[in-house]
Amino acid sequence: MTLNKLKRTAICFSLLAAFSCTDNFEEINTNPEGATTGQLEQDYNNIKSLFKPAFSRIYISDITWQYQIQQSLQADGWSGYMITPVPFGDTNNYDYALNPGWNGYAWERAYVDIIANLYKVEQRAKGKYDQFYAWSLIIKAVQMQRITDMYGPAVYSKYGADGAVLYDSQKDIYTQMFKDLDFAVAELTKRIAANESSTFKGTDLSAYDGDYTQWVKYANSLRLRMAMRIVKVDPALAKTEAEKAVNNSIGVLKLNADVMKIKSPVDLNVIDVMSHSWVGLFMGADMQSILGGYQDPRIAKYWNTSDILPGQYASVRNGVTYPSGTTYAKFSQTGPRTKTGEVTWMSTAEVYFLRAEGALRGWNMGGTGKELYEAGIKASFEQNGVEGAAAYAADNTKLPLNYVDPLFPANNTPAVSKVTVAWGVTNEENLEKIITQKWIATYPDGQEAWSEYRRTGYPKLFRIANNKSGGVISTEFGVRRLPFAQSETASNPEGVASGVTALGGADNGATRLWWDVNKANF
Amino acid sequence: MKKIFLIFMIVFTAQVSLAQVKSVKGVITDSDGMPLPGASVAVQGGQKGTTTDFDGLYTIEAQKGQTLVFTYVGLETQTIVVGDAATINVKLVQGSSNALNEVVVTSLGIKKTRKSLTYAAQELKGEELTRVKDPNLINTVAGKIAGVAVTKSSSGTGGSTKVVIRGNSSFVNNQPLYVIDGIPLYNQGTGQPNGTFGDLAGGNRDGGDVVSLINPDDYDGMTVLKGAAASVLYGSQGANGVILLTSKKGKAGVESFNVNSVTTFDSAAYLPKFQSDYTSNDGDPRSWGDKKKVEGDVKDFFETGVTQITSMAFSKATDGNSTSLTYANTDASGIMPGNHLKKNNFGIRQTSKFFNDRLSVAVTGNYVAQTINNRPTNGLYFNPISGVYSHPRAFTLNDLKTYEVFDPVRNMMVQNYPGFAAVNESNENPYWQINRQKSLDTNNFFNGAIALDYKVAEWFHLQSRYSYNRSESNFQKEMYATSATSLVHSTGRYLNANLIGTQNYADILGLFNTKISEDFSFNGTVGASINNSKTTGLTVDSGIGGGLNYANIFTLGNFVNNNGNVQTGAEREVQSVFAATTFGYKDYLFLDLAARNDWSSTLVNTNDPSFFYPSVGLTGILSDMFAMPEVINFGKVRATYAQVGNDIAGSITSPTSTIVAGSIVNPPVGPMPGTTLKPELKSEVELGTEWRMFNNRLGFELSYYDSKTKNQFIQVAAPATNPDGYTNYAINAGSITNKGFEVVLYGDIIRGEKFNWDTRVNYSQNKSRVNDIPAADGANGRILITDPGSNSYRYSLIEGRPFGVIEGKNLKRDAQGRILINDDNTIQRTDWEEVGNANPDFMLGWSNTFKIGAFTANILIDGRFGGEVLSLTQAINDYNGVSQATGDARNAGGVKINGVRASDGTPVTTMDAFDYYNGTAGRNGASGEYVYDATNVSVREISVGYTFKKDKLPFVQSASISLIARNLFFIYKDAPFDPNIALSTGEGLQGVDVFGLPSTRSIGLNLNLTF
Repeated sequence: MTLNKLKRTAICFSLLAAFSCTDNFEEINTNPEGATTGQLEQDYNNIKSLFKPAFSRIYISDITWQYQIQQSLQADGWSGYMITPVPFGDTNNYDYALNPGWNGYAWERAYVDIIANLYKVEQRAKGKYDQFYAWSLIIKAVQMQRITDMYGPAVYSKYGADGAVLYDSQKDIYTQMFKDLDFAVAELTKRIAANESSTFKGTDLSAYDGDYTQWVKYANSLRLRMAMRIVKVDPALAKTEAEKAVNNSIGVLKLNADVMKIKSPVDLNVIDVMSHSWVGLFMGADMQSILGGYQDPRIAKYWNTSDILPGQYASVRNGVTYPSGTTYAKFSQTGPRTKTGEVTWMSTAEVYFLRAEGALRGWNMGGTGKELYEAGIKASFEQNGVEGAAAYAADNTKLPLNYVDPLFPANNTPAVSKVTVAWGVTNEENLEKIITQKWIATYPDGQEAWSEYRRTGYPKLFRIANNKSGGVISTEFGVRRLPFAQSETASNPEGVASGVTALGGADNGATRLWWDVNKANF
Repeated sequence: MKKIFLIFMIVFTAQVSLAQVKSVKGVITDSDGMPLPGASVAVQGGQKGTTTDFDGLYTIEAQKGQTLVFTYVGLETQTIVVGDAATINVKLVQGSSNALNEVVVTSLGIKKTRKSLTYAAQELKGEELTRVKDPNLINTVAGKIAGVAVTKSSSGTGGSTKVVIRGNSSFVNNQPLYVIDGIPLYNQGTGQPNGTFGDLAGGNRDGGDVVSLINPDDYDGMTVLKGAAASVLYGSQGANGVILLTSKKGKAGVESFNVNSVTTFDSAAYLPKFQSDYTSNDGDPRSWGDKKKVEGDVKDFFETGVTQITSMAFSKATDGNSTSLTYANTDASGIMPGNHLKKNNFGIRQTSKFFNDRLSVAVTGNYVAQTINNRPTNGLYFNPISGVYSHPRAFTLNDLKTYEVFDPVRNMMVQNYPGFAAVNESNENPYWQINRQKSLDTNNFFNGAIALDYKVAEWFHLQSRYSYNRSESNFQKEMYATSATSLVHSTGRYLNANLIGTQNYADILGLFNTKISEDFSFNGTVGASINNSKTTGLTVDSGIGGGLNYANIFTLGNFVNNNGNVQTGAEREVQSVFAATTFGYKDYLFLDLAARNDWSSTLVNTNDPSFFYPSVGLTGILSDMFAMPEVINFGKVRATYAQVGNDIAGSITSPTSTIVAGSIVNPPVGPMPGTTLKPELKSEVELGTEWRMFNNRLGFELSYYDSKTKNQFIQVAAPATNPDGYTNYAINAGSITNKGFEVVLYGDIIRGEKFNWDTRVNYSQNKSRVNDIPAADGANGRILITDPGSNSYRYSLIEGRPFGVIEGKNLKRDAQGRILINDDNTIQRTDWEEVGNANPDFMLGWSNTFKIGAFTANILIDGRFGGEVLSLTQAINDYNGVSQATGDARNAGGVKINGVRASDGTPVTTMDAFDYYNGTAGRNGASGEYVYDATNVSVREISVGYTFKKDKLPFVQSASISLIARNLFFIYKDAPFDPNIALSTGEGLQGVDVFGLPSTRSIGLNLNLTF
């Protein structure tokens, strides 16, 4: 080898005056520690390896600062779950002076880390290894629903096109996601029926461990979540899709074992790091008001008591003035629920609450609203390892608490959520209870909670004290979407223009999305 | 090929054997006709030489047609071609341009007479590099060469140095090429920081470079080739200028042993100013508490560094053989506790002649081993300076020395930072960082070369050279459990990063030198070269998330997972052919023509991996062409136009996925679809003139240049929706123009028996402009070199602006310039705005040498004028209430401002100190308030030496001793830190300070003995 090289060099050298030996430049210029597509074809790794990022990057669970700007400084705060009480200069999402430096990040990670890979799966597996293609469609739906629920119009059908990449409207995205789920469920169901053993094992890093049946349940549950999201804009399609999901032969998530969850590849909980290592993430005022008021045993799982009021919880109100990054340092930090590297993508409890709402709307959800509502509470208690679900679900007296700021009484404010836990009478009242309980159960996924808050207005959350949006975003309705990513404006301006057209409103945080119709819930 | 060579051989051997050898004699006199004893006579290009006797008589064997060279110190050298006459009498006159007849080393080690150069080349004698010695040779160049900006890194002794010649001309790399004895040095560093927070992998560290490792005593001198014309023969690598170093060689017939010892004491100079009137409240890490005297003890943290450099050189030369053996030892303790450098340099150089002195062979080998404990970092992470400056003032540094306490729960010593409930990534106990986050940098460098020179004929030499460089650098850091968990896992963290770089270089040159006729001379070079460099890196890192199975046991087997372990590799090869010729007419008009073609591996998969570039230059010695007034001894004008190509970064055109932590990662960069990449192209016009007058006692050189580098290789953000998953696209866009001029002025102001005063002034100014940055393609007319993260400093290239714009945030003001204040007492702030430029407008170096008998004194004053710097250090110190400004403001009852309430227009003249600094200071505050003029004038070097009289010395040939000082003091400075120090010697992090190590003042003794 060395000898050959020497010989080649010698020959090249003597001839260099006239000719040059550039035939091995490709080899020289190729990263010797890289992995070529050819090498990856062995064991079908050219397809399988593309799934791995999804399990750590849809909800970023390996690099804390990335999760912080993917979701924590946006939906996790706007959902009322948890607050980073740091005065980030003059552009702080919490007071509605939206920070464009953060708010495009979720978009960038979604396309670069997830969609680019799933697109390759489509190219390599579609028509050949359709189980992988089907699987990629489920994961794509998980990712794309999050993206469209943040930004509205997004790149879906035109992905991979040459030149400017145009956006689809949110309506078109939902329609395509339903279709993609149709294909995925049919494909996997066919293989389950044929008793095929799973080819996902080892590649699937979720708790499902490659089980086709579990993935079909998850796909059906996702369909139910999507159907409910569009109920105000297209009730007929919502009903059809919801019933299709629940009444599918394999069905939806029903047991605690069905919870869709993944583990951080670095065994890290980003929320725990932000709260404890960074001393930068604390209990939201709404959490204390609602969980504290209901004397909900999950509060001890979600939150630690504070140092400022030993033995008691202390929470931070959204959108007040945070004098310095350390002012609230002794307030309640996150608890055992976010201690391990486990991240829940969808809980069984959420699915029961979705069905409860469907039942309330008169859909065939396989149970009454009350039954399904109480099953949801039970499932969430079970998932969090706490007792007393039945008594809790029957309580008709405990009400959310007023907010008290131990440092600055000026921030104190009376409770806004005024429902008890026990099943009530009117649809509106019961919907508020369902969504409030779903909000508790969905913690810490602020993205889903914020979407449902925008759709239903529940749970009722404290309003921010200082609105710095310059009149763009109303304090009453809050942030309705994220503006399109700055990187897109810079590098795909025609795409953004098509997105603004599809949005049908200004590209700011106040414009309502397609499914976010400003009308009554019923 | 072989055949042709044989024919050549036969022809020339035949010619030689036919030539007649005869004896030539004569007398050498000075202009007054007095015989000159001890003058040298030599046959040009040969080994034969003799000296005149007491009566100025000489005899030498020579052939007809050979050239005899007559030299005498201080007189102009003469050359005479041997004709039929047997007697040649020579009159040597007072040198009108003797210095310009000097031979200078130019590209590829090719020697040229200085006067024939068509471009600017400035030299430094070996003595200039060692007089006030620095462990890093390049630091001693500051202020001594016009047009060369030298900026030290803030990493203390052994750190790398940023050198920019004639302004920045590239977006990605502006370092010059270093060349030793004609062969390019592999100067790959292991990377430079480019973040204002600090690198998570062990902090913002300077990986060092190779040139900082070499032994300054090994070199005879330095030539700096500044422009494109000068460096065209080095191609891509020489596009930013070339610094040529020439090894010391043994002097014929002399045996010598030289010992040099330098000891300097280094102290921290130019610390920020701190308050001592206010303490910190219980539980608050910031010092905004009660009025109470606190100890202002920051300066006590720093120690006096001691640097000792001992070098020895043995050299011996006999007819045809020359040997030089050198060794140097450097031992330096830094001003930061725990920082220590050890370096050993070994060198050997042997030259021998064979086959009747036709073949000359030179073999050199150099090896350097260096270790640095706790090399200083900058930024907010892993940096003790941060805690030393910021610690809550209720506690003294003495309190902080109890940096660990026993924790019975974990049965180990855990970090103790008084005043902090919990440490975080920006706030750790500095003594913990020094003792429980120790780092060790190791650098080993080997350079071996062989050079063959075969004299085929008097007018034709064939040369071939090969060199092998190997640089290995290793960084190890052991971080103990209970360090900040956002940087170090709760079980501790171990990082071991190794990088090996190798370079194989070979060339072959044919050198012609002949007189075509009496009036016309010709010399030329044709050649080919190949340069292959390769790096392989292996980093093991237990990581922040993974951790160690058993706490504080720092070894790979103890890692919980493999996620932080990475291997990297890259290779690049450039093959080249080139030719350069100089035509001379009557020895006063010279025309240079040169051309080169490169084939670079980095341009594979583009339209053409090959690129060609030419240069042309013309010089005329006016003083020889025309009659000049008596006072003018020499006058010359010169002009050149040259192009230099520069290939692109490696692996870009062959994007490959990698596997990180078991996941396939898409290549981060690739070419933009539908485009192809091409090399950068620099074009430069240079005009110059050189004059000497009054018996050569006054002289100046003036150069003007105008260069444009286009097709810059840049990376722009790829749309997130690109299906390749690239983060960035690589494109060619952007251009940089640099225009400037340089003046070198020198004078022997006083020349006397007992007292001499020489002075030299180097002046240069440069104006740069960045253009053609695309408005689309994600660039938006701006390229960020240093991304700000959430801090208020970023470093950008902006369309239409000079290179290297510092951007920050300013306080928002109304039309009357009043600061706008909100009702809640917060202060309004602008978005990003240009707040300065990191590059100087002009530079001035002024050196003086005084000789009084056996005493010699040197003083070098170095000034940089214009440009700005930003201090995040000061901003953070203000935010934390530790700076003197905050103390003074509190003592004065608030900050006087010219403000106005934004809501109702009420004027505001005073603001509470806390409100003001809380709202404007800090790492992410209104950084525009922390911009300072970078102009500074310093006493860079001083030495006062005494040379002992030879006859009074017992067994020593020569001895001298000198008192030396470096960076003694600033004559003028605006910034709160030394603006000649940068956080990075790369392209980013310029013009900013984030807790960089303070600059040092060094005073010491230099002892030199030759046996």
